Amino acid sequence: MKKTLITAAALSAGFTLAALAANTEGPDPHVDVTLLEEGSVTQADGLAAWERIYEVVSHPRCANCHVDETNIPMWSGPTYGEARPHGMNINAGDSRIGAETLMCSTCHITSADFDTPPNAAPRYGIDWSLAPVEFLWYGQTSVQICAQMKNPDTNGDRDWKGLVDHLVHDAEAFGPVLWGFNPSGGREPAPYGLQAHVNDMIAWGAAGQPCPTE
Amino acid sequence: MKLTVNGTEHEVDVDPDMPLLWVLRDTLGITGVKYGCGIAQCGACTVHVDGAAVRSCQLPISALEGEVTTVEGLSNAETLHAVQEAWLDHQVAQCGYCQSGQIMAAASFLDLNSDPTDAQIDQVMSANLCRCGTYPRIRAAVKAAAAKLNEGA
Repeated sequence: MKKTLITAAALSAGFTLAALAANTEGPDPHVDVTLLEEGSVTQADGLAAWERIYEVVSHPRCANCHVDETNIPMWSGPTYGEARPHGMNINAGDSRIGAETLMCSTCHITSADFDTPPNAAPRYGIDWSLAPVEFLWYGQTSVQICAQMKNPDTNGDRDWKGLVDHLVHDAEAFGPVLWGFNPSGGREPAPYGLQAHVNDMIAWGAAGQPCPTE
Repeated sequence: MKLTVNGTEHEVDVDPDMPLLWVLRDTLGITGVKYGCGIAQCGACTVHVDGAAVRSCQLPISALEGEVTTVEGLSNAETLHAVQEAWLDHQVAQCGYCQSGQIMAAASFLDLNSDPTDAQIDQVMSANLCRCGTYPRIRAAVKAAAAKLNEGA
């Protein structure tokens, strides 16, 4: 179930990005990874893949915990009404896990069982935290996030294959990547699904990580 | 399954999805911990797991890793915890329903930060609701408890 297939393969003739479309039903952590040769995807297809990636990472399920140095997670998205800071005066601090005041883990239990009722604290299989402060997504434009994500200084020192590995390994651990596509409590999931998102990350990387200019 | 609460090991035969709060109150009869909302919004069910505050209504018993302490086990039979003493000195409780969770949250916080500012106290204790509105007394008691703990350090 949790086995991940990672296969390096060249782009086959006639392959189109449309063929990357996939869907995800339920919290299945399995991802098929077929890496593509660099330069085998056009800039146009790479940019199209990026725009879908941007739709994912700017979605509330992903962006609410990718916040700035105020260290305040956000509550936003259709189930939250108007966007607002996390209730209860929560601040995750410079530790990004709440160690200075109230640990995220006080309410966000570490469990691979995502099933929590509406309004309860959601959970996933690794310890709950904000993303590192340099991984800023909340309220950022496609141009800004693209620049952040392709820069090893602001993406955890990863090339594009490293970004793919990150997605795969997080999902294997039933982490926030998997949860974002399969959230609990009636929350709206991030779009496209995990497999399609990984495929888009591969296509964007193979196209040379093109970024929009405006 | 086995769990240790206040230094005593227990064996319980319950559904793995049962929240720790239910196990404590209904199975083990440890009723200092309170049910408030059931969705981690009020803090009444706060206990410690290996010293860290946890909302026991959110923790399936199958996911429990560590020793549980409830308000009954916060101090020993001889002395009160500094937070409990401060609670008495400042007569914090009004109806008292939330105070178990408040005390456990405060005690855990002071383990993390032994010299908190009023703003930090407000920030932490904002996650524990008191319908009687005893917040000024809560803040004063946490401040006093911090001073007492620092004296003993």
